[in-house]
Parts: sequence; C-alpha cells; structure tokens
Amino acid sequence: MMLLNAIDFNQLLSLFTFNRDEPLLFTSGFFWVLFLVFLPIYATIKSSRVKMMTFVIAFSLFFFYKSSGWFFLLLVATSFIDWWVAQFIDSSKNRLERRIALTVSLVLSLSVLLFFKYSNFVMSNLESLVGGNFQPLDLILPVGISFYTFRTISYVVDVYKGKIQPSDDYIDYLFFLSYFPCLVAGPIVRARDFMPQLQENKPATREMIYGGLWLVMLGILKKAVFADYIAQYNNIAFGNPTGYTGFELLMAVLGYTMQIYCDFSGYSDMAIGLSSIMGFNLGINFDYPYRSLNVTEFWRRWHITLSFWLRDYVYIPLGGNRKGQVRQHFNLMVTMLLGGLWHGAAWTFVVWGAGHGIALCVHKLCKPWLDRIESTRFTRSVSWLMTFGLVAFLWIFFRASSFHVAGQVISRIFTDFEWAYLPVFLEKRWTWCLMLAIIFALHFVPRRIWDLLRDKFISSPWAVKLVIFIVLIQLVLQFASATVQPFLYSQF
Amino acid sequence: MNKPYWGLWALLLAALCFFAVLSFWPEGFKIGGVEIKTASFAQDVEAEPKSEKPAKTDSLDEHGRLPNGRHPKGWRAPMDTTAKTILFIGDSMLEGLAPRLAAYCDKSGHRLIEVIWYSSSTLCWGQTARLTELKKTYHPDYIMVCLGANELYVPDIKKARRPYLKKMLAEIGDIPYVWIGPPNWDEDTGINDLLSQEVDEGCFYLSANDKFDRSRDGAHPTRASAHKWMDRVIKWMNTSCAYPIRLNTPSETISRAARIVIYQPPV
Repeated sequence: MMLLNAIDFNQLLSLFTFNRDEPLLFTSGFFWVLFLVFLPIYATIKSSRVKMMTFVIAFSLFFFYKSSGWFFLLLVATSFIDWWVAQFIDSSKNRLERRIALTVSLVLSLSVLLFFKYSNFVMSNLESLVGGNFQPLDLILPVGISFYTFRTISYVVDVYKGKIQPSDDYIDYLFFLSYFPCLVAGPIVRARDFMPQLQENKPATREMIYGGLWLVMLGILKKAVFADYIAQYNNIAFGNPTGYTGFELLMAVLGYTMQIYCDFSGYSDMAIGLSSIMGFNLGINFDYPYRSLNVTEFWRRWHITLSFWLRDYVYIPLGGNRKGQVRQHFNLMVTMLLGGLWHGAAWTFVVWGAGHGIALCVHKLCKPWLDRIESTRFTRSVSWLMTFGLVAFLWIFFRASSFHVAGQVISRIFTDFEWAYLPVFLEKRWTWCLMLAIIFALHFVPRRIWDLLRDKFISSPWAVKLVIFIVLIQLVLQFASATVQPFLYSQF
Repeated sequence: MNKPYWGLWALLLAALCFFAVLSFWPEGFKIGGVEIKTASFAQDVEAEPKSEKPAKTDSLDEHGRLPNGRHPKGWRAPMDTTAKTILFIGDSMLEGLAPRLAAYCDKSGHRLIEVIWYSSSTLCWGQTARLTELKKTYHPDYIMVCLGANELYVPDIKKARRPYLKKMLAEIGDIPYVWIGPPNWDEDTGINDLLSQEVDEGCFYLSANDKFDRSRDGAHPTRASAHKWMDRVIKWMNTSCAYPIRLNTPSETISRAARIVIYQPPV
C-alpha cells in the first residue's frame, strides 16, 4: 500500500507517452525495463510467426511513438504506400506504368525526408541569397527517418529491378520497416537480406542469444562509457576553440575521431546484438575502419550498410565506373556530396562529403602507381598515418558547428601548437587520455581475439555472464556522472 | 520459451534487481577510495510528486513562500533600503562582475565579500560545507551567486547536479539571494533549465540570452562586457528581482570589495 502511495501515476503515465527531450534509446534504463517485459513474451510466441510479428510490430511502433510522437503514423503510411507500389510494379507488365510507380514512390519518400530534414536548411540558404525574414519552422525530425527512408527506397528499387520478389503480405513489410532494432540509427538492412529470415523464422540459438548479448555489451561500452565520456571534452573544446591551445584542440580532434566511431558503431552493435537475440542476423556495420590503409578501404569498413547503399542506389545508377574516368570521378563526388548532406543539413557536412569525394578520386587516380609500391611495414605505416590523418582532419568539418569554428580549430592547431601542454593535459585529464588510448588499442586487437572472447563469453557459466554484465553497467554508472576538467588552470 | 532465453531473461532481471536494491542502500559504497555510484531507482521513486495545482497565495509564510517552499510567480518583497553585507560567491566569472558590483555597493553603503573559487561548480560547492562556513564567518544578509559556466556540457546534468544545487540552496536558507546564470558561449546541456527549475521565483537571472564581447579565451566576457553584464543584472534586480535592495548607480566604474577570498581550483 505504501508503495502504491509512493508511485506518482502521472509520472508513470509520462513514461509511456512521447517526450521530445527523452527519446527511447537502447542506452536508457527504461528501454531495458521494457525489454525485460518484451523478452519473455517474444520468446514464448516466437514459434508462431503471426503472433510474433504482430507483437514485434506493436512494440516497434510504440518504440517509434515514444521517440517521435504521432509521426509513427508516417512510417505506417510510408510502409503501406511502398508495399502497394512494389506490388503494383511487380504485377504490371507496362514499362511506363512501372516507371511512373517507381517515380511516385521515390518522390513521396524523398519529399517527406526533404521536408522534415532540409526545409529549414533550404529556407536559411534562400534567406541569405535573396534576403527576407524567413522564420525557421518548428519541425520535429522523426527519429530514424533517414534510415527507414533509405530502406524503403532500396526495397522498391530492388523490386523494380527484379532483384527481389515483393512481399505478398503487408504485415511482413511493416515488420521489416518498423523493426525497432534498426529504427533509430540503422544498420540500413536490405529487404533481400532480411525478408528470407523473416519467412523462415528460425528459432534463435544459444550462440545467437548470448552472442547478441555480447555485442550489446560491447555497444554499451563503446557508446555509454567511451563515447559519452570523451565527448565531454570534445564538446567543450569545439564549443569554444579560442579558449584552447593548438595542442588541446588536436587532442579534441583525436577525441572526436574516436568518439564518433564509438558512438556510431556502438549503437550499431547494440542494434545488431538485439536483433541477434531476437533471431535475426543483420551482418556487420563497422569493420575496424581506423585500420584502413587508404580512403577507399575506409569506406568499405565505415558504416558499411550506408556505404553500400550509396554505391548501389546512387553511384552505380549514375554510371559508376562504366562511363570513363572523368564521369567516374564526377559520380564519386556526387555520391559523397549526397552522403555528406544525408548526415546533416549543413554546408559543413557537404564539405566533409566533398573532402572524402576528392580523397577517393585522388586515390583512384594514384592507384596504378600506388599498387607498384612494395608493401612493407614502413609503407603500410605511412599509408595508415596518411589515411587516419585525413579522416581525422575531415571530422573537424563534421563536428564543427560552423566553418568559422572549423577554421579556428584548424588555424590554432597549426599556429598555436606547443608540446609543453602535454604533461599538464595528461595530469588534469588522465582518465580522458586513458580512455582514448584504450579505444585506440582495442581497435587494433585482431579479429580472432575478439571472436575468441565472444566464444568464451557464450560458453561461460551463467553466473560469470551476470558478473560481467553487472560490472559493465556499473562502469556506465560510474562514468555517466563523471566530468572532464573543462579548463586548465594555467589558462587563467 | 527456450532455455537460453530464460537464461538471458533471468540475467537481465537479476542485474536489474541488483542495481535497484543497491540504489535503496542508505549509505554509499566505496571501494579502494572510489565512490561506487548507484542507479537512480531510489531517487525516482522517492521524488516528490509535482503539484500541478496552483497554490493559494493566502498560504504564504513570513518569507513570502508557498508551502512548497517557493515564492508565487511575480512575488516581490518590498524594497529593502538598509545597508547589507553581500556575500558574492562563484567561479572565475566574478573577476569581471565583482569589481563593478563593488562600485554599486560603495555608492549604496553595502559591504561586499567576494569569494572566487576558480573552476568551481555546483558540484564543488554542494559537496563541501564551504558556503555554510562563509556564512558563519561573514554573517551576510544578502547572497549573490554566479555559477554554472563550468557545467555547460555536463551530461545528464539535471540528475547529476540537482542534489548539489538543492544542497546549496538549503545552505542559503532564508537569506535573500540572487543567482546569476552562466554567460553561455555555446548551447548548454541543461544547466540553465536546472537553475530556472530549482532557484526560487525572481531569484534567477538568465544570462544565456545576453550578448557578450569575449576575452581571448572565448569564454569569459571582457572586463568592459562583464561590467555591462553586471549593470543588466542590477537593472533586473531593481525591476524584477524577488528581493530588491538599494543599488544606486555609481560614478566610478569599478571598486574593490571589502574582502576578497580566493580558492584554488578543485583537484
């Protein structure tokens, strides 16, 4: 009775309603409480495909509602329209009709994405071009809209090209598009990889379930411990670059390079791990990208599902490498510019994409010459250093809030750099430095070691798994409230 | 439900129970001198339910506070024209603000005690009894605080810093006070929201929307800009603050506080 009195039902209800400031993320405690309720029901009804699908769709839509409010209906509408269009494309023998249907679907999907994500960007650019007094729209960007739009486009295009058969059952397609592990930040899984698994609905094996938990734990470690902690200093330095020396800003750039990897790949790991627990294999999305020896390799290892999506649905349709070298470079640039803009509605993202586009073109141009160079430890080290340096440099534009800030960061690194700050920096922010070193070192642990650790975890006794899990969550709690020293005293 | 699913479910449940029980433990844990943080279950359950109904104004106490300890919106005490001992505490922002305030105090007959704790935050002040000690030493009858600049980027700040802020406010107690918010140079993660939620009605000056000329470090306002900042705060104190005191415009630009206390940055 006392407990009932202690519970504030309004507060309890607010947990289940949309809150713009508190989207449901895999790193939130509330998600895991919900997952505790979700899991036994899912496991019980998993063998019945219809029941399982209905339940997961309901959960996924609630997940989307909690993060984006009533915009979850937009996802339902998009899924229905594209499912219907795909059916129509498949059944129609008339080429023109098929083309029109494809165009309608693409225009609809892209216009919704453009409206929510790029309206204010376009308006502010118009304002600076023609003058006037445009007020930015108070738009809520539905969480994950960029991801599910790309997934639905790939489905319709693949049906149009005859690469896959359309799904007969709308529920199957709604399941695919609303599937909550992929909803917020990918991976951009393709229907041709996912739908067959859904049809088969194989039971999840012990390896999948505990292998999934292992991945989720790795993801939590990367996102909630490493990324969130090192982000604090990066935010402070990028928020006020004039207050920091070139050395400190260089550390912030290195920090951000690791932060964004831990953030993106950590969330992907959690999504892939959760999906594995549910019995669905989503493949991999990040394959040690900072081990890359050239920028082409980097894009084969970084956000793989996005890179391959851009390759298959932008680069190749533009002509790929089939229309000569000049056209190939043009296609690469267009693809990377769009890739940059996809990440965010700002010119800094476009410059980031352009930087990678130019680097890819230069690498393609130099490849015949580079291939003749003997592969030695020295040449590999130089290649790695150049690639890592370039990628880290371009992250400055990705992170900076404006070109002004990016310019300040770059200019101070080159004009106000003193190693003398190293000892003070290490002393005052030793936890931060240690974390950076750990992430860096972990990146170079061979894959077979990771696989061995995963297999050991899967085969370990239940109590050992529990202890490891508890230690991990305790780490999250320890670092969630830990703060990084904002200013070095010597600056006053 | 197959066996591995049971195992996973039991594991998650056991972990949840472990952290829930730990969070209700009355005393904190320390292992090797490191404080073991607990989850927020206990805080969430024990949180006071928010009253949505507006409280009646006839239930104000002698300090003009509602039963929930806050002033009603728009409440103002009558102008206090007596000479005060003002304790002005905060971080390095005081370097620019305090000399200008000292000029106002000289003109108005107040005694200013300036306490700069470099790089400090609500966490530093809330974890120590420094404010209580300062009260005992200087017996202020008006307190001004300028804190928050070192907390612009603290993650999950509302949970992380609310207890320390509440402790500071409890230490201030019934002494009239003003809290000057940080001069944002970038978007914060919630320090201004937290301050506006916890600091009493009419006692919080939001500086985030003000424009500043910054010094070379890009964060601190220049001396001239800090003086204008103080002028804006004084203007607000004269027109909207819950505890207005006499603050006459000085002819001098700056002056020196009667007492200046400096603390080194927290380790």
